[in-house]
Amino acid sequence: MGKILEIYKLGSATFKRCKIADIAGFTLVIAGIVWIVLRGAENQGYFWQWFRVPRYLLAAENGELTPGPLLAGLRVTLHITWMSLILTYVIGLVTALLRLSNSLGARLISRLYLETARNTPLLIQLYFTYFIVAPVLSLDRLTAAVLALSLFEGAYASEIYRAGIVSINKGQWEAAYSLGLSTFNTYKSVILPQAIRRILPPLTSQAVSLIKDSSLVSVLAIYEMTMQANAIVAETFLVFEIYFTIAAIYLVITVMLSQIVNLMEKRLRINY
Amino acid sequence: MAPKKLGDYIIQVNAISKTFPNGVIALSDFSTKIRRSEVVVVIGPSGSGKSTFLRCLNGLEEIDSGSITIDGIPLDDNKKHRLEIRKEVGMVFQSFNLFPHMTTLENVNLAQRLVRKKSKDEATAMSMDLLRKVGIEDKVNAYPSQLSGGQQQRVAIARALAMMPKVMLFDEATSALDPEMIGEVLEVMKNLAREGMTMICVTHEMGFAREVSDWVIFMEEGEIVEEGTAEHFFRNPREERTKLFLSQIL
Repeated sequence: MGKILEIYKLGSATFKRCKIADIAGFTLVIAGIVWIVLRGAENQGYFWQWFRVPRYLLAAENGELTPGPLLAGLRVTLHITWMSLILTYVIGLVTALLRLSNSLGARLISRLYLETARNTPLLIQLYFTYFIVAPVLSLDRLTAAVLALSLFEGAYASEIYRAGIVSINKGQWEAAYSLGLSTFNTYKSVILPQAIRRILPPLTSQAVSLIKDSSLVSVLAIYEMTMQANAIVAETFLVFEIYFTIAAIYLVITVMLSQIVNLMEKRLRINY
Repeated sequence: MAPKKLGDYIIQVNAISKTFPNGVIALSDFSTKIRRSEVVVVIGPSGSGKSTFLRCLNGLEEIDSGSITIDGIPLDDNKKHRLEIRKEVGMVFQSFNLFPHMTTLENVNLAQRLVRKKSKDEATAMSMDLLRKVGIEDKVNAYPSQLSGGQQQRVAIARALAMMPKVMLFDEATSALDPEMIGEVLEVMKNLAREGMTMICVTHEMGFAREVSDWVIFMEEGEIVEEGTAEHFFRNPREERTKLFLSQIL
């Protein structure tokens, strides 16, 4: 017992020393990065005009605050992201199930889609969907963008689902089958509830990627946040101020999303 | 124990063979018939094909040739037959395989709800009866991770019984348990046997075999080496191989 205590004390002393060194190191790295950014801007002779930014976030009209172009763009971004996210998860799940099915045709089709979506640039896929597919299916600009985004992210999501599903012990399948459950019911009640708990963290990263990748739909002249920023920058030359601002907004949203999922995960974990 | 009345043949296994993709022969030309209410104990060294035999009976493993008929339903490529048989045949696994994201009660309710299409109240009433029977009624809202191995296995037995199966398969149901928990699970199995359940048990528990089994099958390399009553097995086994095996495990 004495010995264990000794080791424990030793451990906590080491821990404290590590913590101080850690914080010092962290501060040093951050200071270095800030210095590089400031120095870089200075060398360019950049004239910071942060005071001109707020009006693009919130505009005051007749004493009433209305969202400026950036926040209006944010609404479009969130709208696109939200719809794409749902579609991404659906496409991902269906693709994963097809890949794991017994049908050779289904496996080949899902594989073909997966490899194409993952191994070509999203930008090209956006153009392809908008200029080639959308006219045939008579989709509007926004729908085309949502479709392209979801197909791209869905390919990654399907691999996450698949990994989650195959990580579930074979005994779970056997127990469900031995009780007379169909494959559908086994997935629905036994396999997916367990798999999805396991893959919540990577599925969240997927959502974070989606939020950031949604900035690419600006190439289809959809006025989401990045497109709005481009327009403002072209007009005002507030390059760094505006881009840093929207980067911060993206950051706030993705961090919030991660926090929400963290909470969800903790609540789900209590169960087992 | 008073001699019990056995019924007609409920399981007919005719010359089944099974070779695994890696070339291991699990069953070769294996035949047997099992009567209603009969308790059959299957013994044999590991790799002798006894678990595979059990798993073939409810279609968890496909047979390469031969035929299996359970309560008049042939186990063939027809998916409906397979589902029908799985409803009538319950299985208990070595590693319990409870659904970890569900409580005890939800585990036992699940198949009743989804397969037997019972209402929640009906299913719960049945589950509570069964959980009382296996002595877990105070843990209905616990998750499997909060139960001991013996408790988990008793829940697994209740879960299988909830389908009102005509046959129960036990695949080394006590092999993964700590010694002090084996007894409580065996007790449940013995009660089941006394109630007249048709049971096929792969087990190393010779005391159990001696006490409740009507027939013992000794397997090796996918074939039956010797079979007979427990009495015969433990008094005067014929085959040298059987004698050797029994001397090792008794």
